[in-house]
Amino acid sequence: MFLLNLSWLQLAALFGGISVGVVALYLWDRTRRRLIVPTLRFWVASEQPAQVRRRRRIRQPLSLLLQLASIALLLLAMAQLRIGSPEQASRDHVLLLDTSAWMSSRSGDATLMELAQAAARAYVRSLPAGNRAMLVRADALATPVTAFESNRRALETAIDNSRPGSTALNLGQALEFAQQAQRLQTGRPGEIVYVGPGRITDNPEDLARRSVPNLRVLNIPDHVENCGLEKIGIERGASDPETWHILVGVHNYGARPRTIALSLAFEGRSIGSQQLTVAAGASQNANFELRTRAGGHLEAQVTPAGDFDGNARASIDLPVERPLRVLVYSDRPETLKPALAASSAVEPVFQRPYEYSPGARADIVIFDRFAPASPPEADTVWIEPPRGDSPVPVRETATDATLSRWRTDNPLAAGLRAQDVRLDSTEVFYADPDDTVVAEIDSGPVILARSEPHKLVVLGFNPVAGSLRYALTTPLLFANILRWMSPGIFHRWELNAGCVGTVTVELGRDADPGGVRVVSERGRPLPYSVEEHSLRFFTAEPGTVRVVAGDREIVYSLSLPQVAEARWKAPETARHGIPRLAAITADYSELWPWLALLGAAGLLSEWLLFGRAYAPAAAGARSAR
Amino acid sequence: MAQQPLIDRTFLEKLERLALHWQKSFPGLVGGHNVSRFSGPGLEFLDHRRFHAGDDLRAVNWQAYLRFEKLFLKMFRVEPHTPIRLLIDTSESMSTGAIPKFDYARRIAAALAYVGLVRLDTIVMHGFSGVLAEQFRCGGGRHHFSPAVSYLERLSRGGRTDFLRVVRQFISSYSQRGLLVVVSDFLDDQNCEKALELLADYGHELMLVHVWAEEDRVPPWEGELELSDAETGAHLKLEFDTDARGKYTAAFDAYARALRRIALRNDGRYTGLSTSMPVEDAVFGPLAGMGAVA
Repeated sequence: MFLLNLSWLQLAALFGGISVGVVALYLWDRTRRRLIVPTLRFWVASEQPAQVRRRRRIRQPLSLLLQLASIALLLLAMAQLRIGSPEQASRDHVLLLDTSAWMSSRSGDATLMELAQAAARAYVRSLPAGNRAMLVRADALATPVTAFESNRRALETAIDNSRPGSTALNLGQALEFAQQAQRLQTGRPGEIVYVGPGRITDNPEDLARRSVPNLRVLNIPDHVENCGLEKIGIERGASDPETWHILVGVHNYGARPRTIALSLAFEGRSIGSQQLTVAAGASQNANFELRTRAGGHLEAQVTPAGDFDGNARASIDLPVERPLRVLVYSDRPETLKPALAASSAVEPVFQRPYEYSPGARADIVIFDRFAPASPPEADTVWIEPPRGDSPVPVRETATDATLSRWRTDNPLAAGLRAQDVRLDSTEVFYADPDDTVVAEIDSGPVILARSEPHKLVVLGFNPVAGSLRYALTTPLLFANILRWMSPGIFHRWELNAGCVGTVTVELGRDADPGGVRVVSERGRPLPYSVEEHSLRFFTAEPGTVRVVAGDREIVYSLSLPQVAEARWKAPETARHGIPRLAAITADYSELWPWLALLGAAGLLSEWLLFGRAYAPAAAGARSAR
Repeated sequence: MAQQPLIDRTFLEKLERLALHWQKSFPGLVGGHNVSRFSGPGLEFLDHRRFHAGDDLRAVNWQAYLRFEKLFLKMFRVEPHTPIRLLIDTSESMSTGAIPKFDYARRIAAALAYVGLVRLDTIVMHGFSGVLAEQFRCGGGRHHFSPAVSYLERLSRGGRTDFLRVVRQFISSYSQRGLLVVVSDFLDDQNCEKALELLADYGHELMLVHVWAEEDRVPPWEGELELSDAETGAHLKLEFDTDARGKYTAAFDAYARALRRIALRNDGRYTGLSTSMPVEDAVFGPLAGMGAVA
């Protein structure tokens, strides 16, 4: 029963309403007519058993019954009344078409996708006319392509337009979606049909526990032999920043052992090749080393590709290692060198104050007891600036002062805990409200920072002189200043080439989840979750994703398709293959055409038997009701 | 909205070749195309006869006297006009029908008047219901047709039919016998048969044009009916079905036959016209068929 989703009760109410209308019209039609006639002489001659005594009695009851019965028949026809099991009545099916990356594999002359499309089309054509189907493309996500649709052409067009994606099949999610769609969007759930080879990312045991009683499987034979790239990991050498350690993992997804050649090229130049024999279902890693300071394109390739060529090639871009250029104008460079040369990421250049040039190329400029006439267009650090030319007004010069407090709540003083530091001499500054005080003595701030227009740090004393010279505070202070001015300088870089889909990143115990950022190559933030020091994000499209967590930056070049290795075995309760049309249609008979014919015949009979053919003409005869 | 003319020009052109015919010979009266068998004053020479005392000297043929020395009198064909009178029913009963009988009757009357005027007949028209309405008279010539149409258009319907009274009034008004065309539904509760007989007895040739609406003869209604007489206002409640309809139609047909009988018995003519039949078809069909026009 359909009738615009009305229930039996609503159908009866509808019939009742229409019947009341029909009866009212019937009574109205048969009420006494008042007519003006030219004479009564002939009427008197024809007069029937005298006057009518009851005005509203039912005359021609057969006419009324015929009308009501015909309307009832037409309503039942609209409701698509059927004889047979209601279970076999018109149903809504969900067609899960596997569009995982693996579907681009070739099996004989055709791809798995083409075979699956043919099977899906055959299923759609086998459906009885009244049935509807929803097409869902299933890979890591279940994406509905059509609503519940009875238009076969639209369904077949949607099937033909389906292409393999980049992710592996999450069948559990797809089945859950299909069940939910049938539960929420239709009262007549039909079959959930999975079309594909059944390579899944789910745990097969978990999937086996899921109950899908109306499942049908159109299995696509999967005899694909493939050994392809699984991952690439690149890390800069700890001792030598010009050395990259490269780890390439390959996996044999086929049923037989395969011998493959794994080659690596940087900017089109081969940097190594290895021959590997990988057992069926096993993974194997190969290590390579690359020495370069330049950035470039690193590509790994597996030959022969096998039946699935999506994972035969992967690439990753190595970033250019550009050190931070720090220009120091000082008459005592030997005191500052140890603090600035500690990191390979910093390239200090020492010059005398008279060599100062405002246009000199530098990321950061340090002025040691020197103030130029025109400051450079760069971030600057001022150490004991001359009182008259200091960028921050000097209030006084204090001697034999004790550094009483570090403002550890800002990043410039992070980790600085040295107490009772004696300063032989230091300048004390006037601090503006927008200034950041990093350290202070009792009489005022001695280290200040400003952000506008360029970042600026001014120190009232020389940290590499006096008692601080041998303290851990000094290199930490310089490190904090350089990191504040150039945040990326001390980042630890990790490069990974992997598969699209869900990526899990181990953040480590010290990582602050609040400071984590995950961005795509276009700079758009990606949604992610952090659970027990593990970050997880998902991407369905190939591309580059950057994960920044503290001073650690991990770049994922997700150029490999996600390939699932687990094979799903359909439950025994599942039906298989294309259903026969006769098997479906034989279980019930459509009654609505006959009901419609009977209803129409009833109305026609009523009109022929009781209708008044002259009624329209009579209306002109000055008749009035 | 402009009033539709009673008869359009095309139809009038078709009427040009027709003439009204009557069967009776009215003593001393001929007219139009009917050649007189009687001598009398006129323009067309008929014969000579001997002069008798008292004859009009102006008719003496003096040339014949000079030749034969006897008085001969010239006789001429008399040319008095046979009056053609049309009575058009304007009673309230003529207003019923999907196509009002009143309009239909006026069109028929206009067509007959035109035929008569074209043939130089004298036409007299009267509307009537309970009494005779204002008279319209005109001599021959199609140029008199426009006043005739104006008269017909001025007629207003209403009133209760009283044929006997109308006939008496007519007889008293017109002693000269002639062709009398009655266009009516002949629905008079006091029986119009007697009145028609009276007209015939007075020597008028009756041409009865019985006009009815289709539902006057075969009522389409069924079920409980409450009827009002258009003229008398009398009420009747009855139950009408197929059998009753048959009886009704039989009674109507019997009445029509009775009218026909009256007409034929008095050397008159009768035709029944349903308003569903176009006026042109009626003129060239039933009216021509009964010899009223040819």
